[in-house]
Amino acid sequence: MFITRKAVDRRSFLRGVGATLALPVLDAMVPAFGAAPQAIPRLSFMYIPNGANIAAWTPSGVGKEFVFSPTLKALEPFRERVNVLSGLALHSADRVNDGAGDHSRATGAFLSGCHAKRTQGADLFLGITADQIAAKSLGKDNLLPSLELGIDDRKASPLCDEGYTCAYSNTVSWSSATTPLPIENDPRLVFERLFGEGRDSQQRAVRIRENRSILDSVTGALKQLQGSLGAPDRQRIDQYFDSIRQVELRLGRVQAQNTESPTFTAGMSRPLGAPEKFEDHIRLMFDLQVLAFQSDITRITTLMFAGERSGRSYPEAGVPDSHHSVSHHDNQPEKRAKVAKIDTYHVQQLAYFLGKLRDTPDGEGNLLDNSMLLYGAGISNGNVHDHSPLPIVLAGGGAGRLQGGRHIVFRNEPPLSNVVRAMLDKVGVATDSLGESTGKAEL
Amino acid sequence: MNRLTTKPRIFFDYRVLWIVLTSGVAALGQDGLALAGQSTFLNKYCVTCHSNKLRTAGLSLENVNLSDVALSGEILEKVVRKVSSRAMPPAAAPKPDKATADAFVTSLETSLDQAATAHPNPGRPMMLHRLNRTEYLNAVRDLFQADLSPRDASLLPQDDTSFGFDNNGDVLGLSPLLLERYLSVANRVTAMALGPTGGLTGRIDPDVYTHRVDFTVPQREWIEGLPFGTRGGTAFTYRFPVDGEYTIRVKLQRITTAILGLDNANPPQRLEIAVDGERAGLFAISSTETVKEPLTATADELLARPAKPAKKLTKVEREQQSASADSALEVRLFVKAGERYITAAFLTRFEGLTDQLQQPLVSGQGGPPRLLGVDSVTVAGPFSAQGSADTHSRRRILTCKPSVPAEETACANKILENLSHRAFRRPVTSGEMDQLLTAYGEGRKEGTFEAGIASGIRRMLMDPAFLFRIERDPPRVAANTPYPISDLELASRLSFFLWSTVPDEPLREAAERGQLRDPAVLKSQVRRMLADPRARNLATNFGSQWLQLGVTEAAHPDPILFSDFDASLRQSFIKETELLLQSVLLSDQGVLELLNAKYTFVNERLARHYGIPGVYGDQFRRVELSDGIRGGLLGQGSILTATSYPTRTSPVLRGKWILDTLLGSPPPPPPPDVPALPEAGEGAKVLSVRERLAEHRKNPACASCHAHMDPLGLGLENFDATGRWRTVETNGPADLNPQKIDASGQLQDGTKFEGVAGLRQILNERSDQFVYTLTEKLLTFALGRGADWYDAPAIRDAVRAAQKDDYRFSTLVTAIVSSRPFQMRMSQPLEPEANRLDLKGN
Repeated sequence: MFITRKAVDRRSFLRGVGATLALPVLDAMVPAFGAAPQAIPRLSFMYIPNGANIAAWTPSGVGKEFVFSPTLKALEPFRERVNVLSGLALHSADRVNDGAGDHSRATGAFLSGCHAKRTQGADLFLGITADQIAAKSLGKDNLLPSLELGIDDRKASPLCDEGYTCAYSNTVSWSSATTPLPIENDPRLVFERLFGEGRDSQQRAVRIRENRSILDSVTGALKQLQGSLGAPDRQRIDQYFDSIRQVELRLGRVQAQNTESPTFTAGMSRPLGAPEKFEDHIRLMFDLQVLAFQSDITRITTLMFAGERSGRSYPEAGVPDSHHSVSHHDNQPEKRAKVAKIDTYHVQQLAYFLGKLRDTPDGEGNLLDNSMLLYGAGISNGNVHDHSPLPIVLAGGGAGRLQGGRHIVFRNEPPLSNVVRAMLDKVGVATDSLGESTGKAEL
Repeated sequence: MNRLTTKPRIFFDYRVLWIVLTSGVAALGQDGLALAGQSTFLNKYCVTCHSNKLRTAGLSLENVNLSDVALSGEILEKVVRKVSSRAMPPAAAPKPDKATADAFVTSLETSLDQAATAHPNPGRPMMLHRLNRTEYLNAVRDLFQADLSPRDASLLPQDDTSFGFDNNGDVLGLSPLLLERYLSVANRVTAMALGPTGGLTGRIDPDVYTHRVDFTVPQREWIEGLPFGTRGGTAFTYRFPVDGEYTIRVKLQRITTAILGLDNANPPQRLEIAVDGERAGLFAISSTETVKEPLTATADELLARPAKPAKKLTKVEREQQSASADSALEVRLFVKAGERYITAAFLTRFEGLTDQLQQPLVSGQGGPPRLLGVDSVTVAGPFSAQGSADTHSRRRILTCKPSVPAEETACANKILENLSHRAFRRPVTSGEMDQLLTAYGEGRKEGTFEAGIASGIRRMLMDPAFLFRIERDPPRVAANTPYPISDLELASRLSFFLWSTVPDEPLREAAERGQLRDPAVLKSQVRRMLADPRARNLATNFGSQWLQLGVTEAAHPDPILFSDFDASLRQSFIKETELLLQSVLLSDQGVLELLNAKYTFVNERLARHYGIPGVYGDQFRRVELSDGIRGGLLGQGSILTATSYPTRTSPVLRGKWILDTLLGSPPPPPPPDVPALPEAGEGAKVLSVRERLAEHRKNPACASCHAHMDPLGLGLENFDATGRWRTVETNGPADLNPQKIDASGQLQDGTKFEGVAGLRQILNERSDQFVYTLTEKLLTFALGRGADWYDAPAIRDAVRAAQKDDYRFSTLVTAIVSSRPFQMRMSQPLEPEANRLDLKGN
């Protein structure tokens, strides 16, 4: 949040005033912490809404001898760092006498493997998600244990599944079964979260000191509220205490690093806000993740391309229709082709991210070598809202622990959480369980 | 059909039934009569499917206890709702006539209302109800009499929605991100409110704010809020934090790097930048050069100036100008602190383009020549900040000024007590004052007196008493028992309901004097509050969420099929709806006007879209309507667009919206494995939307719900996917055989109607259901919790009260705020000891 950038004079600041959508100056930034002695693994989880056209998505051939499908074609240049996983399922998103709500349950189950409890009330309940399990160990010493990103303005999707609070479909990150984490869609705010608002270390030091003392004092006030509380209120107070603890931890870390004064030397600027165009917006979000990985501010990110039921239209990809509406394609070839077009367009954005990571040196290799990225949907066929087989890509070298170049086809619909646990395992994050997981997938 | 003889269905005293059957009704008391009627109805029309054996839709009505309805309230309220909205019995089943159904509903409602009076359940909203984003920002505005800049406001993340509203206490949780943001925002608030000394470091950093203009905002026409004699451009309010020097810079619209319309800028087009109506910069931009003109140039001088011969440029120079003609569009000026109105627009009088402006769009020729347009305006600064100005906020906060150090603590105490009394919506405890003064002391140690005050305010803004609406059970109340909330809590509920902000002094004082439960006082407070500008929140916040206008904001009609849809039309749509809501709710008309208004609010843009002649300019004004088409929510572009797909209308979405939003009987979500519609065979006739839906309804699984939704939506088929009136439907621009629109509908009960006027008539016949739904949504918003079955008696009460007064809005609101769920709360239920809070060393 408050990495020092000493030498930002008015000139370089003003240069930022004219900066438009891209972040050219950001590329010039020097990582704050120098080269790490050994490869640090990073994790990124990306979610796409409304399922996919699985037929157009699935590669032909199995194992090393596979041919990229038209949808996945853009990943060709990264073949050796890409695995396509077929045959996975999210059984935990299936209905269990709780009616429709597959969009909410899919988002919820994606990284938790848990079945979202149907409610709009305080008894909302899911399970901790994989990124947050990793944040508590792999990310625990970073300025930001994890970073939760999205593209949609939440106002744009006021309609959620009947009977489900929008909390289930607004995020794929839960720090506990009862705490959904808000996602950030404004690149400028993400930037400030990464690199701080204050101008110099002295300013930041004053601010941190005061913030810590405020939190301390608020903790005292909060204790006055304790007493004999009902379950929902008790949970709210726990959330409050927990948030305070985490922010205090973080401020402590920032305070320590602030005095160590790592510096960014080149002129830099902040993004001005959320760009209008989807592609500009999402690429900015990828740039920011690369920066955050590069400077080791965080090691774990999640990004929602859009929320479930997103009605975004993609005229730039030849689909002027609402995404959700064409995903209910009634098996009409024309609409299914449109779904494939959107899928292809989304995968092209993923390819941009992979390219950026590959072009960023890190340790002995590059960031793509050291990252592990899961990309996919919680719904298979948007027309019927089923949750198997899911469209999933697993990319990156996982700091030497993940092979690429394969089309892995799973039999008997194993849960996606088996793959997610295997990912965590490879980066040294131990899990005894994860929702519906039945073990760790062989990868 | 020998239901009564086979086995017992409804559990109640069978001797009563026997008496009914054998000796007639005369021998029964009124209760028994009601009981018998209810049971007969259930047995005859409901239990066939909703039996213990079949449990259709997971519901059995066999075991409901009609002699003590309180025991089966949840189920019976469902029955009331389904039967009164005519969603049940379903089409295929035997149906009661209307009188029978009405009598049954009335009788069951009466029983349920009586039971509710005997065993009141006001519900239990959370003890800790976090302020949502809107409420937080409004509270800050009211506490400090200044709005946070949009930039600072954007720091607060958006809130999750439940039951259709984003103020639901159950899901307004906390996260580390949110807490961090609260810390940041608190610092922005004090810097905004106090000026440089209010910021954490005693100075205000130069900041950059860019106001971006949507590419679709028309740049050819005069835009509301901009000076007359200008075209295009943009206007916005920016809050300058402190007296100082700032720069204002304009960028022009481009495609990739080339500035749009530059080729047509001969003679030059003139861009004017103004602050609070005063010209700050004037530039003449042509395809060859950009020249700064004297600020004092009058129209006459500019006109009199002989046209300069256009410079001849080399190709390189031309390209350079095309990429950088706007690089000099920057002014640097001294601005006094406070909110200022910034405009940047092109002067029209000197362009000599009038003919072109009026030239109709000739298809195939690309329309009139493109003019320069404003892409964004960026304000940066302050660069040489001067001392704090005398602003409203400072006057409001600094109610005393210590002249000697010895007076400081007493003054700080006064200032912080005064502020936190309002911020916490109750008197501050001495323990809390100690904490605020400690924070003050720490800030004072580092800087000035004002820096100390700022620290105290930041501490106050982080206090749970500010961030949460807290409702605590009174001491010694028995578990799970209804109790009246305190008068101060009631004042908070009132102001967060009607204003989405903290109570003001008159309201709080009425509560502190203990008068708020006096019906006359409550009523006059409601009237006062509805007359206050803050009540507009009911239109913009409650209304826009109720009507789902967020979807309108996000709607993107296909730019090829609906080429005239743009951002200004979208904003006009939303404004029209908000103005209707304001007009009905705040000038206290009957709420049925929302359906039936014979007027609407349009500007020129919207009037053109609607085909209403004689409206010029961008100001919204009320126009009277006599065509029966527009007027009322059903004819509004905002709603018609939100309920369409980008490429076509959707009678299903429209029907669902009506059921959900206006009638409160949303259809259940579609079942899984929805069978695909049959494909149109090769060479087969292209089916219209209506025909496709009719095919769809042939499937009984689909028909059970679509028979409710589709006909309602079909009645709106005369409005296209952007709400424009149409009489034929084309299948793309190349379609030479447009089909005539058929906007007739037939409801499940056989009622036929025609078009929007017919649909409006249908809704009027169900006005009770409409008002019930509005009341339920209002209660949901008012309490910040989902309305539950036990709230139904209170909602019915409120509807009845309003009905006696032509459904006037203030009467409805007064009834809601006088109701049991609004005035009372359930105390905490008993929990097993093991579940009690474990202090965890916190």
